[in-house]
Amino acid sequence: MQAEYGAPGITALEAWFALLDRLRPADLETQLREVNDFFNRRVRWLDDIDIWGQEDFWATPLETLGRGQGDCEDFTIAKYVTLKELDVAEDELRLIYVRARIGRSSITQAHMVLGYYETPATDPLVLDNLVPSITRGSQRTDLDPLFSFNGRGLWAVGSSQSRADPVARLSRWRRVIDRMQQQGFIQGE
Amino acid sequence: MSLIKQLWLIVVVLLLLAVGGSLFIGVTASRAYIEQEVLIKNADTASALALTMSQMPKDPVTLELLVSAQFDTGHYRRVELRSPEGEIIEQRIGADAIRDVPAWFVDLVHIEVPPGHAVVQDGWRQFGTLVLESQNSFAYRSLWQSTLNLVGWFGLAAVISLLLAWWIVRQIRRPLGAVVEQAQHIGERRFTTVPAPRTRELREVVEAMNHLSGAVHNMLSEESQQLDRLRQQLQHDPVTGVLEREAFISQLQIHLDSQDARASGALALVRLAHLAGINERLGRTETDALLHEVAHGLEQFAMAYGGGIVGRLNGSDFVMLIPGKIDLEQLRHDLDRRLAAMRKHGRTPVGLPGALIDYAQGDQRGMLLASLDGTLSAAEARSDEGLMIAEGPQRRSLFTSHDEWRRALQVAMAKGVYLAHYPVLDTTGELLHFECPSRLRLASEWQPAGVFMPWISRLGLDSQLDLAVIDEAIRDITQRGRPLGINLSAASIQDVHFVMELQSRLKARPDVADLLWLELPEAMAIHDLTSFRSLCHALQPLGCRIGLEHVGASFTRIADLQDLGLAYLKLDRTLVRGIDRVAEQQTILRGMATLCHSLGILAIGEGVEHREEARVLFELGLDGATGPGIRQHKKPAD
Repeated sequence: MQAEYGAPGITALEAWFALLDRLRPADLETQLREVNDFFNRRVRWLDDIDIWGQEDFWATPLETLGRGQGDCEDFTIAKYVTLKELDVAEDELRLIYVRARIGRSSITQAHMVLGYYETPATDPLVLDNLVPSITRGSQRTDLDPLFSFNGRGLWAVGSSQSRADPVARLSRWRRVIDRMQQQGFIQGE
Repeated sequence: MSLIKQLWLIVVVLLLLAVGGSLFIGVTASRAYIEQEVLIKNADTASALALTMSQMPKDPVTLELLVSAQFDTGHYRRVELRSPEGEIIEQRIGADAIRDVPAWFVDLVHIEVPPGHAVVQDGWRQFGTLVLESQNSFAYRSLWQSTLNLVGWFGLAAVISLLLAWWIVRQIRRPLGAVVEQAQHIGERRFTTVPAPRTRELREVVEAMNHLSGAVHNMLSEESQQLDRLRQQLQHDPVTGVLEREAFISQLQIHLDSQDARASGALALVRLAHLAGINERLGRTETDALLHEVAHGLEQFAMAYGGGIVGRLNGSDFVMLIPGKIDLEQLRHDLDRRLAAMRKHGRTPVGLPGALIDYAQGDQRGMLLASLDGTLSAAEARSDEGLMIAEGPQRRSLFTSHDEWRRALQVAMAKGVYLAHYPVLDTTGELLHFECPSRLRLASEWQPAGVFMPWISRLGLDSQLDLAVIDEAIRDITQRGRPLGINLSAASIQDVHFVMELQSRLKARPDVADLLWLELPEAMAIHDLTSFRSLCHALQPLGCRIGLEHVGASFTRIADLQDLGLAYLKLDRTLVRGIDRVAEQQTILRGMATLCHSLGILAIGEGVEHREEARVLFELGLDGATGPGIRQHKKPAD
């Protein structure tokens, strides 16, 4: 960690560990808010191509924190993983592809947010890096949801099959999960 | 377990391991691969369909159309859309279409792939979960096919490797069999040699055993040659190498007494005229050389006439015995030419007058020799080159012409042969077997073999008579259960048809074969070793014993005969006669008996005249004795 990202990286990581410790006993609302704020504050929003030298690179929380910068997927993944670490049920978290309108203009952009569903049929709480506060999805008129997914299925497969499974690496989502496992964030439960 | 069986077992186990292992690995790998592929297909299709549904209006018709379109055009077992609460909104289930795969195989392989899940989004809300399972009967089918192919291929491989193994095993087995056979032969004290096989390990064994056999062969040759030298010294004239008077006379007597084809033939007396004068003129050494030349010439002549005996009666007189039915005129003509050639060939002109006479069974040897002597004197008086036929004793011939003889013999053989029984006893007085010379009823009397044997061989009826004798022997053995010894003639064993007949008769009666002793005159066996060998090979496996009779002069050849597995040798009367008196003779017989025993051969003495001779023979280590002096004791129990 130190070798790759230097002292700021270590600091960020330590802060993240502190956050996890602090939030573990807290209620769900606090957890959501604190996690959202933590990453929105700490990580600068940039395009992948500027950070990683490649388009649409999915980074792990470690990589995101180490750099201190990331794009919308990196924010979403980092929040998802952190909340999962805080024992939020996986079924209730979904990564949602949305079409976002920036400001008042009619320019739209591909974007990703994390949705929290109390039940599948309800309006989710949206954790976004464009708007710092957590709001209901229906109130986010600037966002137009397209499709959602989470680790279920993939995770289930991840635990039942070996990580050396060559097919597993074909999917981008699956690759980032693998890297997280390598970096010790998540156990292949 | 035999080596061969172990080899087979190894081959079979290896094959099964290979087949089983390959099948297991092949099927497992294929199954894992198929499961992966189907899993990915499930997940991807579910995601794609869910993505499409998320973009479409969520009315039931559209949803049903979407599900139907995917289900009907693809290969699925189940496509269903469930609400977040778990209620089914839309569902399609296909039949399990596993037709041509056996159920046990499906159970055994059992492909299990989790269904693909994807969530359909309706705005921010989750509309439902799409669950999708692909049809996997094709997977079973392809697995089944590949399994069948594997099994087929391995079946072929198994057949090929078994064939190969069979071939290899056979390659090993054949020389191994030869080695085993040779080892058994050596166990039976028959020191055979076999060709060395190509397999290196076996070749070493065979070479070692061949070496042993060779050594034994050499040892035997040396021993027997030594014995023969002793015999030569005892029986042969030192100057000329032919039989000395005593030995020749006893040979002649044997011929006159004998019960076979030897019982008639011709005698020739040849004199080296004016020996005293020659001796004076040439000196002793030259004269000895001349005598040797004459004797040698006569021996060669006798040999050319089918085997005969030459002896030196006194300083200048040589006598030649040629057994068998012989035309005297023809013999006179042939011998005359021979003597003429010898006269011419010699360094000094010599006279070689001679006289001829025929003999038959029962003739007095004194009369024969006297008649020869008288005629020779007459011939010598006439010229030095005369060769005259002497007046033989008056004999009553049974029949006058060939045709009469043939007819009478045929009739007699058809009526049946009578077998005389002369016992051959072992050291304890127990019976070894009966010697059975044949008798034929001719001119309303049972005639001994000596009377008709010459005619039998002259008319070429040998094998016919021998078969008749064998039949009678089989009958006799069946009736009395005592072992019998039968003479075979040389002409018979050369007759392939006869040997086959004999073989089939003995094969049909193995109990009789065990009690049958077959014997041939030594001279005949040595003369035609090939026929004798094939006879031994044909008959010995059947259990009968084969031996030689009248063994004497050719004892040196025993080294060549040892691998035939002879059961017994009957040692000639000339060696046995007077054994209780002559020490050198005892040495010879003791040596012969020892040599025979080292080869597992019984040594039997022929022509034993009285009990004292028999006692000495047994002391010398002989196993049996026969002859006029041997009578079976009548035991009270018998």
